This record gives sequence, structure tokens and C-alpha cells, in this order.
Amino acid sequence: MSMHKSAGDTGRMRLAPQPGEVIDRDHTISFGWNGSQYPAHPGDTIISALAAAGERVFSRSYKYHRPRGVLTASYLDPGCTVQVGDEPNVRGAHRLVEAGMDVRSQNTWPSLRFDVKAVNGLAGRFLSAGFYYKTFIKPERLWPAYEKVLRRFVHAGEVFPDTPRGYYDKRFAHPDVLVAGAGPAGMAAAVAAARAGAEVMLVEEEHHLGGHLRWGDKADLALLAELTGLVANTPGIEVLTDSVVIGRYDDNWVGVVQRNLPNVTERLIKARAKTLVVAPGLVERPYVFEGNDIPGVMLATAARRLINLYAVKPGQRAVVFTANTEGDAAVADLERVGVDVVRVEDARRGGRLIRAHGRTNLRAVEFACSSRVDCDLLVTATGWTAPTSLLNMSGHDAAYAPGAARFLPDQSRLPPGVLAAGGITGDGRSDQLVAHGDAVGQEAARRAGASGADTALLPALAVPEHPQLFRAHTHGMVDFSEDVSSKDLHAAVKEGYDSVELAKRYTTATMGAAQGKLETVNTVAIVAEASGRTVAATGSTTWRPPYAPVTLGALAGRSLEPVRHSPMQAWHDAHRAVPLVAGQWIRPEHYGDPDAEVRAVRSGVGIIDVTPIGKLDLRGPDVPKLLNLLYVNKWSKLDVGRVRYGVMCAEDGVVLDDGVTGRLGAEHYLMSTTSSGAATVWEWVENWLQTEHPDWQVHVTPVTTAYASINVAGPRSRELIGRLGTDIDLDPEAFPYLHVRTGTVLGVAGCVLWRIGFTGELSYELHVPAGHGLHVWERLLTDGADLGATAFGVEGQRILRLEKGHFIVGQDTDGLTQAYTAGLDWAVKLDKVDFAGKTELKWQRERANHPRLVGVQPVDVEVVPPEASQILLGGQIAGRITSSRMSPTLGRAICLAQVDPRLARPGTRLRVRLPDGTDIAAEVTEHQAHFDPEGARQRV
Amino acid sequence: MSDTAAAIARSPITVAPPATQLHGWEVSGQRSTADLTLTDLTPLTKIAVRAPYDGAVRDALGTPFGRAVADAMGRLVIGSGPGEWLVLAGVGDGTTVQGQLDQAIAGLGEFVSIVDLTHGRALVALTGTRSADLLAKVCGIDLADTAAPDGTAFRSSVARVVTDVVRHDTEGTLTYLLHCERSSGQYLFEALLDAGAEFGIEVDGFTVPGFCAT
Repeated sequence: MSMHKSAGDTGRMRLAPQPGEVIDRDHTISFGWNGSQYPAHPGDTIISALAAAGERVFSRSYKYHRPRGVLTASYLDPGCTVQVGDEPNVRGAHRLVEAGMDVRSQNTWPSLRFDVKAVNGLAGRFLSAGFYYKTFIKPERLWPAYEKVLRRFVHAGEVFPDTPRGYYDKRFAHPDVLVAGAGPAGMAAAVAAARAGAEVMLVEEEHHLGGHLRWGDKADLALLAELTGLVANTPGIEVLTDSVVIGRYDDNWVGVVQRNLPNVTERLIKARAKTLVVAPGLVERPYVFEGNDIPGVMLATAARRLINLYAVKPGQRAVVFTANTEGDAAVADLERVGVDVVRVEDARRGGRLIRAHGRTNLRAVEFACSSRVDCDLLVTATGWTAPTSLLNMSGHDAAYAPGAARFLPDQSRLPPGVLAAGGITGDGRSDQLVAHGDAVGQEAARRAGASGADTALLPALAVPEHPQLFRAHTHGMVDFSEDVSSKDLHAAVKEGYDSVELAKRYTTATMGAAQGKLETVNTVAIVAEASGRTVAATGSTTWRPPYAPVTLGALAGRSLEPVRHSPMQAWHDAHRAVPLVAGQWIRPEHYGDPDAEVRAVRSGVGIIDVTPIGKLDLRGPDVPKLLNLLYVNKWSKLDVGRVRYGVMCAEDGVVLDDGVTGRLGAEHYLMSTTSSGAATVWEWVENWLQTEHPDWQVHVTPVTTAYASINVAGPRSRELIGRLGTDIDLDPEAFPYLHVRTGTVLGVAGCVLWRIGFTGELSYELHVPAGHGLHVWERLLTDGADLGATAFGVEGQRILRLEKGHFIVGQDTDGLTQAYTAGLDWAVKLDKVDFAGKTELKWQRERANHPRLVGVQPVDVEVVPPEASQILLGGQIAGRITSSRMSPTLGRAICLAQVDPRLARPGTRLRVRLPDGTDIAAEVTEHQAHFDPEGARQRV
Repeated sequence: MSDTAAAIARSPITVAPPATQLHGWEVSGQRSTADLTLTDLTPLTKIAVRAPYDGAVRDALGTPFGRAVADAMGRLVIGSGPGEWLVLAGVGDGTTVQGQLDQAIAGLGEFVSIVDLTHGRALVALTGTRSADLLAKVCGIDLADTAAPDGTAFRSSVARVVTDVVRHDTEGTLTYLLHCERSSGQYLFEALLDAGAEFGIEVDGFTVPGFCAT
């Protein structure tokens, strides 16, 4: 590895070592740019390395495909967006070079140098602001073609479908003080707050701390070293570089995207900061004039960054148009490194810039009195914009100060938890900025409640005078990202879009990647001049989060979706169960042959895992009151050991849920709900108890997953349970249908055994303390092998219950299905004093014009009309098929349907419209049950 | 044809080998010396008590809402919610603890329910200095000592699952007990391991917690 490289080894524009440079000259790496290899030093950005090699054109603009080069040499630089590998829209003047990078210009064809789409420039007249509101509209049938054409002109990179996923995650944080911006004021504020005992989070967008000190003079660099040391050595400061505060929400809920972690692409930090210190400094503003976007025209801060941070000569022969000390310092830096500064035009002494000449490269600059200077570099320093976004998001809109030519925040109008520090509030020498930051930091700690901080009187920074320079007498680019010129803004105002909000949306000025930081003030000033108002009167647009663009990856984080498994999941997986996603549950849909599973249940015995069924443990003397209130039927006289089926309706009479509730003890009940309704019913019950009847003594404990629930169904189910060994008397006399018992099964105490039926066969529902579930499940199958014991899944159960005509809430009922529609006439006890839904149900019964749920038999028994097939009457929709299957037990198609009351009589012929547009005939059956309508099989 | 051997009880969290048994529960015998560990403690007895939030039963239990206190009977009594407690005890002690609680509340004249949720909750312990940093990735509650000191109990969202969190430092090492309804247990375990990967988290096998020692 060779020692100090001399200038020229990594490019003809590379300078000798500079005191504040951030590049590591001891190492050289290589990367690709549009297919050719270029050298770079660690610490170079993509753009600084290319600029060192003498490259000047890095992109083509959005609409007109004009060549673009360096403007700001910072994250915001609009002409430096490139594609890196499979990552589009990379900020080339911020992204550090890595060995082997494959960098390409975006959307240039066939090449960056000879972009055919630059022909746009000639058609400029027809591509003025809002052209897409006026063109590509008719004829509509050509929209797909227009879209193809417009796509070719979109200025953005490419995303590849098979791009490898980055690692994104999230974190919560609760800092006492969050400092946004680590320039001199921000660093001083962080140190002061930490010294006062606060936990501080310091967030800096750049790769290094220091802000503008980094490209400053010797004194600035010395101060930078001192502050950097203090930050590193003061305990309690968490430093995040290459990270950005993306927004401030109510009560200092702050989002930060962190990018400086070794194994994490981006981390989204959601922070609740007790105090927020906003110290973003100032953003230099471009000047609007003809030719202001030609490569070779750049801001003073850009020239100084290139020289001082990256040791890159920005040009050979320079002209400087300056209105402030930054421009003056740029002159000094340029001369120091041997750039021929042929003209300094001082705006403070009446200097006037007219236009720049050149196409892919700057050739000359024109001044007042038609004097023209040949040059390859024009540096402008015409003003500063305060990036007040976070303050606006805190509820404070800065006012325009004409004397300072910028918007200034008023510290006294900020909410108590938000403070502003440093250049954004005024200006001064570096030591003054540090003093300001120090005072603000102490105050921030005090407001955060950290101990040891004295009340600090916040000093104010002086606000220096600055000439108002926005636009020369010629027209130029205002928004470089969106290709919006001052001419476009004048045209928009003329067309009637004379408010800044309208002009912004019509022209899209400020809506590009920089989100207004480079454009807003110029836009406001030009709209003001075009509409004959002052800047202050014109106002500004609204700054909204995010402050900087956020990737979807950062917002998504780790893709962790909660998933719920029953204790028997391992068995289902091992036996090739087809998984059914039911909310967060994964359930077995079937094990390969649902029809065979149905036959096994009807002929022998089957077992199904129904653990997701909602189960609520209800205790207390007032449980019957609760049941009477929430179910439509009566519950006052339920003996211990008995079970009743119940239906719950909402207050509009719509069926909410159904299930069975059993009485386990004097003041102990167990309520079951549908699996998808488990959470809803729990909330429903708690809502009524807590808000309407806090006086009732009822305790509700969800035990849905405390039990593994197994439904054992089929003519031989009693036999099988008996084989397991239980102290519960299974004799049908002792344990009739719709009863419940508790006891020990297979040596497991605390089991609940219900005799209920959904499948229509003799069946028991066994609830086992969940930890024992798998063991009991496996034993049922091994002990019942000779009985034909078979596992069956949700699909098999659906077929079985449809054969029996049992409705499923949410399947055969919908958001409008009131109880009488579902055929629950027998259950609704209107003579109860009160219950949820009673008023509506009374009225439903009186009106009697509601749809009916009926059993339906297709005339062609082989055809199963898909669920939701419409039923037609006289050309109108008069119902739909709600459930349908081919029944393995009966060998024919069976259905449930909701129909218009005129069609509800058994024997009525129905016309069913299939999804393919054909119609079939079907008949309303006598019962909803197609099989064993008397229910004889389950009462044995 | 049925045998009378007791059925083995299992946690919803897949056991890290080697698997052994403890009082009828399948537990992990793995041992880790990593700085940050995650342990499945699901087999511990967990009894839920509901009673008035400010009455005699609350005094008898000795723990207010939001706190967790290890008592002299080898139990950790957690004030999980207003009028809601969870009592943690050793594996297999369900009947004993129920009896103790029945005795404690007898004659106090308040409306009380006692429900055994040993099988209904998945319970894990997160131990190590970086525990709070891990939790901060999946839980939005402020875990600083000033906000959540040792003995704090709260209920919040952890990795998008409703979870009870109890800070119960073991021998001076930062430790959090987390429990959720059983069926989400495996998911919560995996989510915590995912969040802890950057800290070098490892799975440690079952160990009887300190508060169980009598």
C-alpha cells in the first residue's frame, strides 16, 4: 500500500491534501460509472470521485432532459441522483463510494452524453407547466399507449423484481433531549444537555459531525476538533450519523431513520423526546437566471465542500457572484487551490448577473452592460433558506424578514417542548453559535426535567442583513428536480393559479426530491413578483413530514406477523394438513381427502381440532343476567351440568355470534363463541359489564387457548372417549345431549366434556388443559384405530354441518342479517324484559318482509353453484347462495341460500345465475337440513 | 386399553434440545452462558385472581396494580391490572396455591374469582444487561430505571401481541418476564430472538426462578 498519493492519482482534478479533507489517501478503491472504471478514496462520495476525475455531467433533468452536474454537492443536490446496482434514486453527492460499486445514470438513453430524449428541449413550448393536464387525454382508448410513452420519460431509476431484501428494523427510544442537527450549535446543545444530566440523542444527516465547520478555515477546523472531542467524551450522548429526523408529531413523537448501522440497511426509530432541539443550520439557495442549471454552475457551499472535504478542484477558470461572506470565503478557497478566479461580481456593490452560456458545459457568463467572461465555473452565493420544517410541524410558521431575505422562526412562539438553536434563528461567528447552542442545550435539559440544570435565559443571535436576491432579469430554473422554470411560474400565475399553494400544485415546484429546501423561497418570491405582492404577503407552502424521503423498507421494518397455533399443530404438520389461514390462526383445512373424512365421521368416528373456538370463563352471581342481556333466548333456568345454544345480536338486531354456554357450577359458566368472533364477543361482554352494568358481579376470563378443544364426532364417539379412561359417566341416561361434565380424562384433571353437535352425529367436545392437548389427540387416534378414528379438518366440518343445515355466522349471515332472517324465530324471546337487539327484532317480526335462510337443492344434482351465486326473480336479484358443497353422504349438491320472502316456501323453483352467466334451476327444500332433519343421529 | 401414565404437558414453544421432564412438563435442558438469554418458563403455575382493586383482598395479596412482589410463600404476586392479579409459583403447585388463595380470601366478603391459567399463558424470561435494548425494539414503553424500575408490571404490545411485562431482576441482572395468551407463544419467542440477534441472544433451558425458592 503506497503512502500519500499525489494529486492526479485519483483524477486530474484531485488537489494536494487539504487540512479538513475526509478522504483516506492511503487507500484507493475502484468503482464503475456507466460501465467504465474510476478510482476513488475511502471517504469520497460518488460525485466527488467522479468530479476528481474531471466528470461534470451526472444526470439528465426530468422533463427536458437537460444535462446536469453539481449544484450543491450535498444530499439535496438535484443533478446527482444515480442508480447504484439495483438501488435507484441514490443521492450521489451523499453516498460514499464502496469498492466494486456499479453506478449508472438514470433514465438516459442511449447514453448520458447523447440522450435522445433531450429533443424535449426543442418542444419546450409544448411541455410547459401542467402539460399533462392538457395533453395525452383523448382519445381514452389510447391511454395504455400514452402510459407506455410517458414511462420512457419518467426520471427515476429502475427497481428489479428479484432485488435482494435489505434488513430493516425498528426501535423505540425515549431520550430526554433529541437534537436534530450536529453543526456547532447542535453539538454544543447536546454536550450542554448531557452535562446537565439529560439522556441525549444527537442526529446528523451527514456522515460526520460538524456542519459547515467542516469546510471552514483553520479556526473552524480547530473548533470542530474540540466539539467532536466533547461529544465523544461526554457520557449520555447517543450519536447517529447518516441519519435524519423525518418528522415531529404531537407531543414530540419524532421519527428518525438511522443508516449508520453495520448490519442494518435502515432502522426507523420512533422516539418520544421530552425536549426537541432543532439545529439544522441553513441551506444555501440557488439564484434564478438563464443557464443556471448548466454543469459548471454551482453554489458557494458546493465549491467549498469539493475543495475542502474532498480535495477536488471544481474548475479551472472561475467567476464568482457573491452577496455574502460564504461567497467571499469561496473566492479565497478557489484562489488558494490555484483556480483562476477571473471575475468577482459583488451583488452588495451593485453587481448584476444576467445569464450563463453553455450546453453540457459552462462556457461563459454574462453580466450587466453585456460584459461577457469566458469561464468553466460559476459560483453563486445569493442567500440562505432556513429549513424550518420541524418547527412548522411543531405548529409554528416562521415569518419572512425582508431585511435578512429569509424566513425566521420566533423562539417564543414554539411549544414548550421544542427549541431552536444556531443558524436557523439568526447568525454569527462560530463562537456565538456555540454559545447559543450551549444555552439552548441547558434549557432543553431543564425542560426535560433532568436534574442539575439552571434556568438559562435564551440569548438571541443577531440577524444579519442580506440583500434580497431571487431572480435575475432573465428566466431560469427554480425547481431543478421537477424542471420548473420561473417562466412556468409566471405562466401559472397568469393562468389564474396565483396563490403559492395553487402554483405549487399546478407546476409541481417544490414537490421534488428536495421537497422545497432549495426551491420554496425562490418559488414564493417569483409568485410574489408575478402577482404583484410582497414575499411576506404571499406566504409559504406547508411543510409536512417526512422531512426527507423515507423508504418503504424503513416503514415496514421486520415483517413479523403474529400467528397462532393450537397444541396439536405439530401433528397436523406431520400429517400433511393443508393449512387454512383463519385470522391469525393456522388451522388444518383437510389432510388430503375431505370427502373421505366426512364419510369416516358419519360411519365411525372422526376428531377435529377446534381449539380456536372462543371460550369465556364466567363467574359470579349475576352471570344469568349477563346471558339474558346478550343472548336472544332465556337463561334464568339453566341447571348445573346443562348446556344451551344461544345467539347474540347487536343492537340493530343483526346476528353477531352464536355458540353454546354450559353451567359448570352454581356461579360458574363456560361460554363458547365462534372462533372468528372470540375477540369480538369478549370485548362485547366487557363493554356491557364495564359501561352499562358495573354493578353486576361478573368476572370474565378468556380461556380460549387455556384448553385444547377436540370435537369427537360419529356413531362410535362415545366408545372412543370411553377407551381413553375417564371418571365421567358416559352413559346416555347419565349424560344426555346438551349437557356438560368436568372431570379427568386420560389422567388429565380439569377437563371439560360437552355433549353438543355441529356435525349432526353423536359427538362430544373435549376440552383438555392445553399443555396436554397433543398427548390426548394422539391417544384418541391410536386407541381408536380399530374404530376407524380419523382426523378431519375444517373443510370436512363445513360439509358435515351443511348436510345438517347448520348456519355459520358470517358465512350464511352478513352485516344486515337480523335474527328472524336466519330462521331463529324459535330462539328470540320477545317476552324478555330487555336484551341487546330486542327493539329492532320486534320491529323486524312485525314487518315480516325480511329475507329467509332456506335449504336449496339444485335440480341437476351434479352442479354445485358457487357460493354467492345470485338468485334472480323477474330480472332482479332476489337472493344468493350462501353455502354450497357436493355432499359425499348424499351424493348430490346441497346449498343454503338467503332468498326474498316470496321465494321462501318449500318447493319453490329458483333461478340461480352462475358466475359464467348461465342459469340453473333449484328448489327450496322442506328443511335447512338435507340429511337427518329430525336430528335423530345426535341424540343416541 | 388406556394406560394410566400421566399425559406429558407441553409448552407452545418448541423445546430446545435436550428435552427433559419436570413435574410432568417437557422442559429444555439446554444451558447457555451468553450475556443475553431467553428462557421458556411456561410450565410455572399461573393463577389469575380478580377482586376489587382497592379492597381487603388487595391488601391480603400485598401487591398494588403495576407492581410485582415476591412473597414469603415462594410466589411472585403481580398486579397486572386494576383488580387483576397473576400469582406465579413453581411447576405443579397449582392446587397448593389455589388452596392458599382460597384461605387468604375466605371471610373477606369481597367478590373474588380465582382461575388457573397455567395452561393458558406462555411465559418467558429475558435476562441480561441488553434486555431493555432488545425490548425497546419491539415495545414502545419507556424502560429506563426512572420509568420502569425493578418490580414494575405493565401490559402493552410486544411485537404486535398483547403481552404482560414484569421487570424482576435476578441477582442484580436486568430481567423481564413476558407472558401472552398461549397460542401466540411460539411467535413471541421467535420475535424476541429476532430482535435479540444483534446482541448475540441465546436460548437458555428451564431453571426454577429465584422467587420460587422457599
